[in-house]
Amino acid sequence: MKNLIIKDKIYTLDLNTKEKREWSPFHSKVCAGIKKGIIPDIKEDYKILYLGAAEGYTISYISDLISIGEVVGIDISAYSMQKLILLSEKRKNLIPILGDCNLPENYKETIENEKFDLIIQDIAQKNQIEILKKNADLFLKKNGKVLLSLKLSAISQKHKSIINEQLNEFEKNFKIIKKTKLDPFEKKHILIYGENK
Amino acid sequence: MKNMDKIKILNQTKKDVKNILENTDQQIINLSLILTKIPENINEQYNNLRILSDLLFPTLEKELTIKEYCLFIKEYIIDEKINYKKLQENGISKEKINIITKINSYNTNIEYKLETKKIIQKLSKNILKLIEIKEKIEKEIDILFEENYKNTKEIATISIACKMLEISGSFKRLSRFPASTIQLLGSEKSFFKALKTNRKTPKYGILYNHPLIIKQKEKNKGKVARSLAAKISICLKADIDKVEIYKDIIEKLNIKIKQLER
Repeated sequence: MKNLIIKDKIYTLDLNTKEKREWSPFHSKVCAGIKKGIIPDIKEDYKILYLGAAEGYTISYISDLISIGEVVGIDISAYSMQKLILLSEKRKNLIPILGDCNLPENYKETIENEKFDLIIQDIAQKNQIEILKKNADLFLKKNGKVLLSLKLSAISQKHKSIINEQLNEFEKNFKIIKKTKLDPFEKKHILIYGENK
Repeated sequence: MKNMDKIKILNQTKKDVKNILENTDQQIINLSLILTKIPENINEQYNNLRILSDLLFPTLEKELTIKEYCLFIKEYIIDEKINYKKLQENGISKEKINIITKINSYNTNIEYKLETKKIIQKLSKNILKLIEIKEKIEKEIDILFEENYKNTKEIATISIACKMLEISGSFKRLSRFPASTIQLLGSEKSFFKALKTNRKTPKYGILYNHPLIIKQKEKNKGKVARSLAAKISICLKADIDKVEIYKDIIEKLNIKIKQLER
């Protein structure tokens, strides 16, 4: 992938003298999804909301993809937010916010009711789909897309029996475009790409 | 969003992060997390030291604490003479010095090279440094509690109050817990397991290590834990208003415990 900031942390030089970075599918669930066949349609001027940004590995690649647009990263931990703030000072299209994704009303004013084209969620909680629904109601555009990485072992240890249950809950609010298991890269995970109904 | 907005939001998040990480609760939690791991480190290094030093004094470790043992080895090992003045300056009592001289007379007469002697001395110095760090952290936590949460310190003891803070996250959240929740803090796993299987629920969590409960007979432990938890929850609420009430509460608690012991 083309690097937006030259000589940023992880990079390898391409033969055509254009700098490129390596994106590992073992560290990032979005990259693992691309390897398995889910290619989310992201344009240069998109505005993206990332829930569960943590220290900013995946979000830095998404900021490479949208050179004109903006990406907002939200996380609850103050420790990992320190690293995300340092990253956001380098990358001008990245905005960090400290907040709880379960309570989107708290950061509604700081975002100023902005609507987004795509919401990406990577949170290991019991009510993962409920969190996505709350945020999509407030911040997603009419034809906006969502990309959800569902961690099954966070919901229940009997993960085989709950897959259909979770997919039905997802289909109440969103339309499924594509879904895959992330098996060799990430165990007991499902990546779902959907559209707002 | 415009470019101006980003600077505003960035400053806001920086302020939020600073508020959370500078909090006294967070400082206490960080220090107590270090404090729980240092003793493991000391024990590991002490075992390494004794591999070498046990050949000289096979029975000395039964009589002395780790700190006294390291102090003695550090002074003795190179000259092989007991320096009474220095041992007394470092706080070792006369009785223990007598024990050391007795054991020294049965010395095994094994001789090390000078370089291995230096290694032994450095190992013992290392342990003494770790002990010094541990004492400093304990002092620092004590001062933080003394300034902010005095009632809780007097009744719950420092080590238990630190563990309660680690579980709840902040003192404000802890003070809103009811007394029954405080009684069972730390035993969540067995509590929910008991609810699922319709068995008896646990009587105490981390409160089990409190000096008032360890003394009691097995029959009374649950009852004392309940009354202690009630008093702790009162103290937590008083600490937020910054009122000193711990003397009255300790008196009432002692009367209650005497009634239970009959």
